[in-house]
Amino acid sequence: MSARLNQSAAQILSSYDGPPLRIMEVCGTHTHEIFRLGIRKLLPPQVDLISGPGCPVCVTPVGFIDEAIWLAEHGVTITTFGDLVRVPGTSKSLAGARAEGGKVQVVYSPLDALTYAKEHQDEQVAFLSVGFETTVPAACLVADQALQEGVENFSLLTANKTMPNAYAALRDSADVFLYPGHVHAITGTALCEDLAAQGVSGVLAGFTAKELVTALAVAVKKSQEGEPFFVNAYPRVVRAEGMPAAVELIGKVMEPVDAEWRGLGVIPQSGLQLREAYARIDARKKFGMPRIEGKPNPACRCGEVLQGHCKPSGCPLFGKVCTPQHPVGACMVSGEGACSAYYQYGGDLL
Amino acid sequence: MCVGLSAKVVRVQDGMAMVDASGARREVSVQLMDDVEPGDYVMVHAGIAIAKITDEDEHETDEVLEALLA
Amino acid sequence: MSNQVTLAMGAGGKQTAELIEKVFARRFQSPLLTADDAAVLERPAGRIAMSTDGFIVSPSFFAGGNIGKLSVCGTVNDLACMGARPRYLTCAFVIEEGFSLDDLEAIAESMAATAAEAGVTLVAGDTKVAGRGQVDGVFITTTGVGEVVEGAAPAGANARPGDAIIVTGDVGRHGCTILLARDDFGIEADVTSDCAPLWSSVEAMLAVSKDVHVIRDATRGGVGTVLYEIASQSGVGISLDASSIPVDPAVGGVCRMLGLEPLYLACEGRLVVIAPKEDAPALVEALRRAPHSQGATIIGTVTDERPGWVVMNTEVGTQTLLPQPGGELLPRIC
Repeated sequence: MSARLNQSAAQILSSYDGPPLRIMEVCGTHTHEIFRLGIRKLLPPQVDLISGPGCPVCVTPVGFIDEAIWLAEHGVTITTFGDLVRVPGTSKSLAGARAEGGKVQVVYSPLDALTYAKEHQDEQVAFLSVGFETTVPAACLVADQALQEGVENFSLLTANKTMPNAYAALRDSADVFLYPGHVHAITGTALCEDLAAQGVSGVLAGFTAKELVTALAVAVKKSQEGEPFFVNAYPRVVRAEGMPAAVELIGKVMEPVDAEWRGLGVIPQSGLQLREAYARIDARKKFGMPRIEGKPNPACRCGEVLQGHCKPSGCPLFGKVCTPQHPVGACMVSGEGACSAYYQYGGDLL
Repeated sequence: MCVGLSAKVVRVQDGMAMVDASGARREVSVQLMDDVEPGDYVMVHAGIAIAKITDEDEHETDEVLEALLA
Repeated sequence: MSNQVTLAMGAGGKQTAELIEKVFARRFQSPLLTADDAAVLERPAGRIAMSTDGFIVSPSFFAGGNIGKLSVCGTVNDLACMGARPRYLTCAFVIEEGFSLDDLEAIAESMAATAAEAGVTLVAGDTKVAGRGQVDGVFITTTGVGEVVEGAAPAGANARPGDAIIVTGDVGRHGCTILLARDDFGIEADVTSDCAPLWSSVEAMLAVSKDVHVIRDATRGGVGTVLYEIASQSGVGISLDASSIPVDPAVGGVCRMLGLEPLYLACEGRLVVIAPKEDAPALVEALRRAPHSQGATIIGTVTDERPGWVVMNTEVGTQTLLPQPGGELLPRIC
């Protein structure tokens, strides 16, 4: 049964003979898995899979890394997801700051960052809060806990992002969105339904080979029917209502703010910052941080890559001065970035 | 974004659950979930459970495809 | 004697002699190991292989071994990879002031046991004590001499298109064990290091055929790094079957939790073997009979396509590159 269905999904993809179709995956983990599994090779030439701005590390502006380094250089212990350690700031990365004596601790979870702070009362500890709606609840949990328990040596440096206005900003870049399964596990499917009503099609996708191939097959088949659509192809995880307790918690701890997306510029109300009640654990306020603006490399074409206007290999820096070992642009800095995945998994070579 | 891991809940105490993914175990927060019990499967991200799930990814995806082909 | 290593124990006087006697000499007993300035040894027949390696591992003790066992395995395995039967080993210790003597004894004990298993004799040693904070616990450097088996000449540049690629057991277990032992990520799993001396595995293979093209131990950087090195040295392409790469389920679970690739986690008891395709089944069978390579299996083939690259055949029937090794392993979470 399953084998027959797998084949049907692959066949739907390979036999597509409709007009050109642009599908944008809006999740870095999708980008990574699609490249790792070689799923693009199952698609016919007129189906273009665009890797959108769904990697929080990639869209985090240069200035944020500079802010973190400022903290490290002022004696604050940085706790962070491993993803951010090698990302270049204007003059160096956190790995560079660590080599110069800054303290940078890689953690699996914001919960571990708070635990570290409690166990190291003689250090000031800041957690680099990046990530989308999936990751924000964990940060909000510890923010709330730190405030309630009066943990004095813990703070958050936030650069969190939210997807709704990014979809709006990117709606002309794709015919179908492959929605990020784990973001909508938190936020639910109402937004996707609304977008379909406004003419924006999308499929919610999971992360295994089978889930991704199925979601793409749904995208291709439904597109041929002509009407805008939304299909939840990840019902195992995503419920229509999402996770109300998490959404409520986010609203309690954080508030929307205009946010800069590296490579794309400022998208209104697409970021989150700690509410005034949490000022005591807001690293920017707590340490009186100056306003820091990073300087990205002007030759980089990441913004166009993220919107599907340019293939990674179409950028003059790609694979020459910009590689995963020496990333220049947003899309190369993280293993989940479009250029990095393209480079590492042989987008051009194979 | 958002690497997720499906794991089985082994025990639950004070809003934290020990989860097991093929023998790799770790404590995660289940504070934001209603009723989680040992034996349930959850999707875990960055140290918290973000959804209660079934363990049948093959089967559930088959259903999506069946609906598509119907 | 105090229960901790002191600077005086490294000063060269009576306390040094006591330390050497109490901890090392009685365990490394051999007529070849004397108090003189150098070991005087019989010359082995034929060509000799020689290798040296420094060992730092934090923590010093981990599931399935310790830095002592590691320091013997590392060097005897390097010799074995050249088709050389390990004969002599020297060891140099740099010990941090304050290091537990009990731990040092346990380390020496497992060095002696591992050397005995590997059939190698410890013939000379050196002990230094460094001030607190100048080293992390204990660092060990071992140097080994082995006797190359007549007719065997495995080397990284010898892989040929059509050859089979064998790995001698599940991958990434040592790296995973160390990651868990450091307890940075709050993860528990029943994973034991694969650290083991592998001459018995190589000997078993050479008994089947001397024409084994490449033997490499997949230590730092794991199997993935070794395969890229071979692809580059031999100027060949490497084609792997993703579904055939053996990974312990718990190692797989830890890797999924942290977004890591098991092919890039270190092994300390695994060989990558490249040999003519027609010999591969007999080699695998011989390996499976040896004590530390019971999980030997074929994972891919050498090709003349895309020289220098390692290509993965994925579960959906497509091909992608195995990403190239990229320095420090960092968890991918968000």
